[in-house]
Amino acid sequence: MAGLRIDPSDATPIWSQIEEGLRRLVASGALAPGAVVPSVRDLAKELRVNPATVAKAFQRLTDAGVLTVRRGDGTYVADAPPAMSRTDRARILREAATRYASLAATLGVTKEEAAEALRAAWKKGDKS
Amino acid sequence: MTEPIRIEGLTVRYGRSTACRDVSLCVAPGSVYALLGRNGAGKSSLVRCLLGEQKPSAGRTLLFGADAWATRKAAMARIGIVPEEPDAPPGMTARELSDFCRRIYPRWDAAAVMARLQRFGVPPKTPFGRLSKGQKGEVMLALALGHAPEALILDDPTLGLDVVARSALYEEIVGELADRGTTVFVTTHDLAGFEGIVTRVGILKEGKLILDEEMEALKARFRRIRYANRLTDTRTAFGTELDAFHAERVRVRGWGIEAIVSNFDDAVFERFRAIDGVDDASAEAVPLEEIFLAVAGEEKGAGQ
Repeated sequence: MAGLRIDPSDATPIWSQIEEGLRRLVASGALAPGAVVPSVRDLAKELRVNPATVAKAFQRLTDAGVLTVRRGDGTYVADAPPAMSRTDRARILREAATRYASLAATLGVTKEEAAEALRAAWKKGDKS
Repeated sequence: MTEPIRIEGLTVRYGRSTACRDVSLCVAPGSVYALLGRNGAGKSSLVRCLLGEQKPSAGRTLLFGADAWATRKAAMARIGIVPEEPDAPPGMTARELSDFCRRIYPRWDAAAVMARLQRFGVPPKTPFGRLSKGQKGEVMLALALGHAPEALILDDPTLGLDVVARSALYEEIVGELADRGTTVFVTTHDLAGFEGIVTRVGILKEGKLILDEEMEALKARFRRIRYANRLTDTRTAFGTELDAFHAERVRVRGWGIEAIVSNFDDAVFERFRAIDGVDDASAEAVPLEEIFLAVAGEEKGAGQ
């Protein structure tokens, strides 16, 4: 599935990475309302992860109203997926920022260089 | 529900040497348990006892509640096995092997076996002895799944397989988990390949089970911490500042200290960063392979 990347070695549980990744794809519009989502089986094979892990992420997204399951038909993005809550958004942003900051520190770049790289990446994202 | 696999106080001795020392573990239904260990750690002896091929010196191994040594037959119908060394009569083709197995197993699904062989790209009419190492392994897996077993025991299944064959093997296992929730017990050296599939990890060292833990919990407590330090006279020496994290392995680098720690905690790390003299501290997640090296490796940290 394009745009969904996970790292099994990451300390964040795999189900959480999948959940967050799918939320991001929905929020960015890469997965439109009503779009088909791959089956648990196919996604597990593609990501080479335990299907129970994918099922857990799907279940949480279904409970949150981001995905809907049509019996015998498959899983879809909900027609009107709820916007991410302000606290969730803040938390995800904070976590990602911490990861980026510690990477930058490890590489030994300055705060300004790191900020500049972020601005450049943002610009690139706007164009695509 | 009875656990597919349960090992209780397993001890295996060969004369004066001990291959397994009082090993106990349990594989829950639907879980994927990876048993890791360096060569000679006791994995093979444990697997032989598990399959009822060897009598334990003490303790026992249970397959679906039945003692593997005493009543091997009953459980075998519920278990599929992929042995470390693929073994079958060299003159028989994959199709003939499947036909042969059908006579033993009432629930044999020959069509599913042939479909799997086709997915793997194994020629059904080539004698077993003329197949490549990877193809032999694939035949073994296809046959192991032929009677739709509830549990699958894989003894180093990726040994000697190339990248393509390994990938096909993972796909087949993941598909099997998705379709039937099969319980899997696997011994392997291919930690990166199984990292996302495994739910629980056991590590054998010198016959002892020194770790037995859920994968998520394991990943949560291990980190690689790096920092430069001004705590001591030389930048590369280190003291007690890592104690709270329980350092499993410490390396001294030109720029400072690198440690694999097994008791990581975010709050403790924030305090650690704030220590005057600890500079540029970073913490990153550690792949299973490095966790294994840190736990089962010989080295116990520099400076000791």
